[in-house]
Amino acid sequence: MTIDVQTWVKVAAFTGGGLAMGLGAIGAAVGEGHTAAQANIAISRTPDMSGDIFKSMLVGQAVAESASIFALVIAMILLFTDYASSYIEISVVLSAGICMGLGAIGSGIGSGYPAGAACVGIARQPAMSGRLMTNMLIGSAVCQTPAIFSLVTSFIILFTDFSGRPINPTWAAIVGAGLASGFGGIGSGLGGGLVAETSCDGIARQPETVTPVTNVMLLGQAVTQTTAIYGLLVSFILMFKTFEATSALAPAAALLSAGICMGIGAIGPGIGEGFTARSAVDGIARNMNATAELTRIMLVGQAVAESTGIYSLVIALILIFVV
Amino acid sequence: METIKQTQKKYGSRAMSLAIIVAMGLIVLGEKAAGKGLILGTLFSVVNFILIGATLPRTVGHKKRAAILISFVSLLLRYALLAIPIVLAIKLDQINIFTVIIGIFMIQLMILVDHLPLPLGQKRASS
Repeated sequence: MTIDVQTWVKVAAFTGGGLAMGLGAIGAAVGEGHTAAQANIAISRTPDMSGDIFKSMLVGQAVAESASIFALVIAMILLFTDYASSYIEISVVLSAGICMGLGAIGSGIGSGYPAGAACVGIARQPAMSGRLMTNMLIGSAVCQTPAIFSLVTSFIILFTDFSGRPINPTWAAIVGAGLASGFGGIGSGLGGGLVAETSCDGIARQPETVTPVTNVMLLGQAVTQTTAIYGLLVSFILMFKTFEATSALAPAAALLSAGICMGIGAIGPGIGEGFTARSAVDGIARNMNATAELTRIMLVGQAVAESTGIYSLVIALILIFVV
Repeated sequence: METIKQTQKKYGSRAMSLAIIVAMGLIVLGEKAAGKGLILGTLFSVVNFILIGATLPRTVGHKKRAAILISFVSLLLRYALLAIPIVLAIKLDQINIFTVIIGIFMIQLMILVDHLPLPLGQKRASS
C-alpha cells in the first residue's frame, strides 16, 4: 500500500487536532476539579454562603477554561481545513496542534488555583467577596498569558506560507517552534496560578493587606511569565528565520533540539518562580510592614530561579545560530 | 449577593447585547459574514456559560478525583457544543471564523470588563 502526501497531511492534521484538544482538556479539567474540591471545603464550613461560593466558582471556571477553548479552536481548524499537499504541511499541522495542546495545560491548572482559593476565602471572609472575586479574576487572567502565546504561535504556524522554504531543515524549525512555545507555557501557567492562589488566601485572612498583596502578586506573576516569553522568542526565531537547504540531518536535529531545550528548560523556572512569589505574597499577608523587604527577596530569588531558563535560552540560541 | 441565575443573566444579556450592536455595525459596513459570525459565536458562548452553571452542583459534593472526572466529562460535552459554530464557520463562507472565535470569548470578556477597570488599591464594595 502506498500513501500519498495528501494522506500524510490529513493524518498529521488529525493527530495534531487530537493532541491539541486532548492535552488542552487536561489543564482545564484539573483546574476546574480543584476549584470544585475547594468549593466543597468552603461550603462544608459555611453552608449559608453556598450561593456566593457557587457564583465565584462559576465565574472562575468560565475564565479558567479559556485556555482549553483556545485548544478547541485550533483542533477544529486542524480537523476541518483542507491543507496543501506538501511535506512541509505535515510538520505545520502537527506542530500547531502540539503547541496549543501543551500550552493550555499550565494555564488551565494554574487558573483553577485562584478560583479555588477565592471560594475558600469567601467562606472565611464574606465581606471581602467582591474584592476576592476581582483578585481571582486578575490572577486567572494573567495565568492565561502562556496559553495566548501558544495560540498566537499556532496561528502563525498555520497561516504562514512556508512553501518557498526548503523542506529540510524547515520542518524541524517548525516542529521546534511549536515545542518551544507549548512546553514553555506549562511552568509559567502553573507558577502564576500558585501566586494568585496565595494572594486570594492572604486577602481572605488579612483583608487590610489587599493592596500590597495584589500588587506583589502581579509583580510575581509577571516574572513567572518571562520563561514563557523565552519560549515565544525561540519560536519566533525558528518560524521567521530562513534556513539554508541541506540534505544533512544534523542541522534539522539542531533546530528541533533548540525548541525542545527551550520548551522543557522553561518549565522548572516558571514553577520555581511561582513558589518564590507565593511565599512572598503569603509573608506580606501576614506582615504588611515587611512588604519592601519581602518584595526584594522575592525578586532576588526569582532571578536566581530564572537562571536555568536563561541557560536553556543560551543553548537554544547556540543550536540555532552556531551549530 | 446575586444568585447564579442572576449572574448568568447579567453577563449573558450584556454579551448578546454587545454582539448584536457590533454585528449590526459590521453588517451596515458590508461585513455580513463577520456580523453573523459574532452573533453565532456569542450565542454558543452564552449557552456554554449557562451549562457551566447547570453542571456546577454536580461537581460539588464529590472527592477531588471524582470532581476532576466529572469536570472532564462536562468539559468534553460542552466543547462538543462549542465546536459547532467553529465547524460551521470553517465550512460556510457566509460565516467569518475570526468573529466566531471572538464571540466564543464574549462572556469571559464581559466578566473581565466588569471587574478589571477598578484601580488595584480601591476596595470593591461587596455585593
